[in-house]
Amino acid sequence: MSENLPTSHGPVVETQDAHGHVAHGQDAHGHDAHGGHAGHSTGIAQYIYVFIALCLLTTLSFLTSFHWWHEYFSVTESRMLMMAVSCTKALLVILFFMHVLWEANWKFVLTIPAMLMSIFLLLMLVPDIGMRLRHASEERKFQAAEPPPEQASPPAAPQPAAEPAS
Amino acid sequence: MATATHADEHHAGHIKLQYQPGLPIPLGKTIVWLFLSTEIMFFAGLIGTYVVLRFGAPTWPMTHEVHLSEPIGAFNTFVLICSSVSIVLALEAARANKARVAKFFTLITFLLGSVFLGVKAYEYNAKFSHGLYPWSPHSQIYEKANLEYGSAVRQRLKTLTAQYGDQTKDLFNNLSDEQKAQIGELEKKPWSEETQAAYAAISPQIAELKSRSQTCTDLSAELKLEDPTVDLVQLSNKIYPPPDQNTSGLPWEKEEHPGLNEQYPWLKLPFVVPGGNMWASTYFLLTGFHALHVIVGLIVFVILMTMDLNATRAGFLENTGLYWHFVDLVWIFLFPLLYLF
Repeated sequence: MSENLPTSHGPVVETQDAHGHVAHGQDAHGHDAHGGHAGHSTGIAQYIYVFIALCLLTTLSFLTSFHWWHEYFSVTESRMLMMAVSCTKALLVILFFMHVLWEANWKFVLTIPAMLMSIFLLLMLVPDIGMRLRHASEERKFQAAEPPPEQASPPAAPQPAAEPAS
Repeated sequence: MATATHADEHHAGHIKLQYQPGLPIPLGKTIVWLFLSTEIMFFAGLIGTYVVLRFGAPTWPMTHEVHLSEPIGAFNTFVLICSSVSIVLALEAARANKARVAKFFTLITFLLGSVFLGVKAYEYNAKFSHGLYPWSPHSQIYEKANLEYGSAVRQRLKTLTAQYGDQTKDLFNNLSDEQKAQIGELEKKPWSEETQAAYAAISPQIAELKSRSQTCTDLSAELKLEDPTVDLVQLSNKIYPPPDQNTSGLPWEKEEHPGLNEQYPWLKLPFVVPGGNMWASTYFLLTGFHALHVIVGLIVFVILMTMDLNATRAGFLENTGLYWHFVDLVWIFLFPLLYLF
């Protein structure tokens, strides 16, 4: 049964649920043709897999807070990993928990332009904000109230402490 | 008689009109997605502000310096992930017309959300008890160990001494004449354990106030506040020592060398954390708004739990779930940005 455009199968006033069916307390078991979706008790397994994946990803990003992590990975690498992990977790939640994976094609109409715009925005801000610390102009250095810090790396980076093994 | 109903389509010549909804989802769901898009804009603005301020700041405090604990943040993340799973299981149950199971899972979600808020409150308390507030005059954070800071410390000690003096006078006036005479005698003696015990025998409050006043005077001398050449960075370190790199940052772990503010919780002397005020502003703003959204979600869960969550209510439950997943999403981004970067 097509779920995209309702054909003239009834008066307008009937409420429709996400599958274009009429929902009058009907058991949704037998009606869905989408894998792992409404009503199937086996569909729960997918949610559990996603939950485990989310837990593992959280643990991975949490590992970056330990001292021994910084002996193997630089600060920039850690941050990129953390953002990648966050985006993956967000994608998992959106696709599976918010059921966007099973939505119709309108999801592409809304998300793809939004993604394009956000990527464009990020790229546009990189020269002004992202590279601000590396290439402070001479005039800015002259006008600054205090001399800028000497180190080449961004001053906000946490210093991995070289402490004795504890 | 032709009425303005959908039956018109049969009367309007040979044109058969069809109802085409804009999107093949219920109206409520459409609206919730639109609302979520505005919330995305809202949090994107806040997070963008944090990123720009953070990476443009000359310095930024380390996590342990401001009593941020990564394990607690990770635990909160785990709690919210679990609550996302439970709300989706509630939705599955509602769709299968299992109303009691759905209500059970909604209750689980509500409880997990409350745990999140409880942990957040604990974290906030850990900050406030160390004088880390996002606003003056509560905030004791100074950016630089300069003359202004030095005079603030001196001023605080003077204020405390004057305040305790006034409070002692008020208490004194309520004593009997005999007690007043005893106090008069004690005041002539130098301060010691015995005199403190003697004060306590008459009035424990006066003893406490006297002891605190004495501590202030002792500290003034010990910290050499009247000496203009005193090292103010050292002073701040004594009041609020820099964190030991080896600690896990868990708030219940007592430090080996507690600072003055921790030894005497009533002291609340100013201290220096470079970048601390900007950190406090952004941290409390981001987590505060997120916590407000969590509270709103919890209110909706309470409303849901008063209803019969059968298949007809699955739409409402789904929409609430969408909002709750969004709240989880925001925290998924906030956790590394605030705790791990």
